[in-house]
Amino acid sequence: MSIFTNILQNSCRKTLLLEPESFHMLCNVANFHRLPKLSSQAPAAEEKVLPEMLMQPQARPKEGRVKSLKEMPGPKTFTNLVEFFWRDGFSRIHEIQQQHTKQYGKIFKSHFGPQFVVSIADKDMVAQVLRAESEAPQRANMESWKEYRDLRGRATGLISAEGQDWLKMRSVLRQKIMKPKDVAVFSSDVNAVVTDLIKRIHSLRSQAADGKTVNNINDLYFKYAMEGVASILYEARLGCLQSEIPQQSLEYIAALHLMFSMFKTTMYAGAIPKWLRIIIPKPWIEFCNSWDGLFKFSQIHVDKKLSEIQAQLDAGEEVEGGLLTHLLVSKEMTVEEIYANMTEMLLAGVDTTSFTLSWSSYLLARHPQVQQAVYDEVVRNLGRYQAPIAEDISQLPLIRGVVKETLRLFPVLPGNGRVMHEDMVVGGYLIPKGTQLALCHYSTSYEDECFPAALEFRPERWVRKDNMDRVDNFGSIPFGYGIRSCIGKRVAELELHLALVQMLQNFRIDVSPHSKPVHAKTHGLLSPAAPINLRFVDRE
Amino acid sequence: MISKQTPLRTLRGQRHTACGFSRAFSSSTGTLRSEDKVTVHFINRDGEKITTEGKIGDSLLDVVVNKNLDIDGFGACEGTLACSTCHLIFDENIFKQLDPVTDEEMDMLDLAYGLTETSRLGCQICLSKSMNGMTVSVPEGVADVRQAADMGLTPS
Repeated sequence: MSIFTNILQNSCRKTLLLEPESFHMLCNVANFHRLPKLSSQAPAAEEKVLPEMLMQPQARPKEGRVKSLKEMPGPKTFTNLVEFFWRDGFSRIHEIQQQHTKQYGKIFKSHFGPQFVVSIADKDMVAQVLRAESEAPQRANMESWKEYRDLRGRATGLISAEGQDWLKMRSVLRQKIMKPKDVAVFSSDVNAVVTDLIKRIHSLRSQAADGKTVNNINDLYFKYAMEGVASILYEARLGCLQSEIPQQSLEYIAALHLMFSMFKTTMYAGAIPKWLRIIIPKPWIEFCNSWDGLFKFSQIHVDKKLSEIQAQLDAGEEVEGGLLTHLLVSKEMTVEEIYANMTEMLLAGVDTTSFTLSWSSYLLARHPQVQQAVYDEVVRNLGRYQAPIAEDISQLPLIRGVVKETLRLFPVLPGNGRVMHEDMVVGGYLIPKGTQLALCHYSTSYEDECFPAALEFRPERWVRKDNMDRVDNFGSIPFGYGIRSCIGKRVAELELHLALVQMLQNFRIDVSPHSKPVHAKTHGLLSPAAPINLRFVDRE
Repeated sequence: MISKQTPLRTLRGQRHTACGFSRAFSSSTGTLRSEDKVTVHFINRDGEKITTEGKIGDSLLDVVVNKNLDIDGFGACEGTLACSTCHLIFDENIFKQLDPVTDEEMDMLDLAYGLTETSRLGCQICLSKSMNGMTVSVPEGVADVRQAADMGLTPS
């Protein structure tokens, strides 16, 4: 496709935005193609003239010189404060991202109190930044997370760790849950959870007046996602899809909800000076309380597995198992590091998956013809009753397309963050080392130049005509790219693909007649702003 | 239904590559018979030709790592299909014989710099006897292109 001729062309002019760094997804990249080192100066460096050869063709400004941050457009600090704190811009971060891009261009600067952010809303600039990453890329300042862990004597995990600590853990974990072949073996575990999901849909809809509707579908998908990721991480079932959820799991869900309900305060907890906690103590206390709950839950499950392994060893039995067993037996990480990573990976693997499943169900319900085409493809390749495994998905390109298209329209992380590890010229501006970047995935996802008819739900745009068909897709990279990309990407894809196939085999999914169109809001992640109510109608 | 494999079977010090189990440590390759090895020529970004040998069944990423070849930034994600830094360009006759490309590899190729019609990811290509003597090229990097463009040599 066009990528062969377009590699160097600056296509896709877009927008930008700013965006906050949210937890979730451990993103990215590689030590590759770096720009020559310029200097290490503080942000807001004076204008600097660079030799032409240091600049990429697309980055070269018309004037032929590199501009400084001072010359970069962007909203005024005061305007931004009003927008976010007075007009609740936090819940509209994705829209403000688009709006600022239209207003200021594809690269702009913003101030959030003490935090200075350069936003990039252009797929070529995003590619440039991600391709030039160091061996241990940093997403954002995670000081408040680190502070909690130091306070409680806990280790950091993949989200909160940086540098060599991060790289060491990432090297161990990626060899277990990132390769498609390694993840494919989880098919039967995930299918067992999908079976329970289908049963639960039957049970819930039978309680509805019309015998078909399930209200607030995300509530159910949340439990599915939690059960699914826990079955892989802990090699254990939690019982979230039973009618009576065990107390322990309920407590965890409460801690998780507390964590997310505090998004606005905790997200910027790091930006609030410590001395202010004396005056406003609540955010920090709740932040610590929810982490206590999350860690406690992980510790219970890890310790349980540890004692099972010990019992097997004592009995002289051969120890076999999955991810957690391997981590505990191999001792490549300390037990504290295992607690921390299990905690952070579970945290990152629940809402992300459930929101995506909610949106894809909603989009399929809103587009019955698309749903029919996807269903036909499933029946053609698998029939109506055969549960799919990972290996079957390559025969179902529309199912993959549905997930990709859903994440393009509703990227759970509307933007991602990077801290510049060295000076770099981006879009004609010198961005000094240490600058916080916001990569505006939401804006680029809606660019017609990246995705023709960008507002429309078209899963078929992702279906390749043949193996040589390439899609120039840096405009939509919902899992990030490179060595700090989402480590749970393959697990999430498996959970989404297997659930969607089996739901379509069992039901035609319709929008409840009483539902109004549902829009997105940002609440840490891009989530449905209102409950999504769906009708699950038996297939003839 | 597939049976559940236990990751435990992956012993420490081994990497489970696209090509099966492979040694992270190359020390034992010295004991291999010559017929278990194939010769591969890498053309590096600067045009330098690096000739080396790899064990049949190893991936091209294994070869680069085990032989400690000096290719900047190669294989950053260690073969986990999270990046495209082990992108290599093949001769057409060899390219046609390669194992089929998976969806996941195609997705990462979409994000590779300097993609060609005979591009693949080195971590997914396993050495076979018929590859003996083949030449693979490391695509030019962003920096090289910048310099070429500056000299009026903008590639098409």
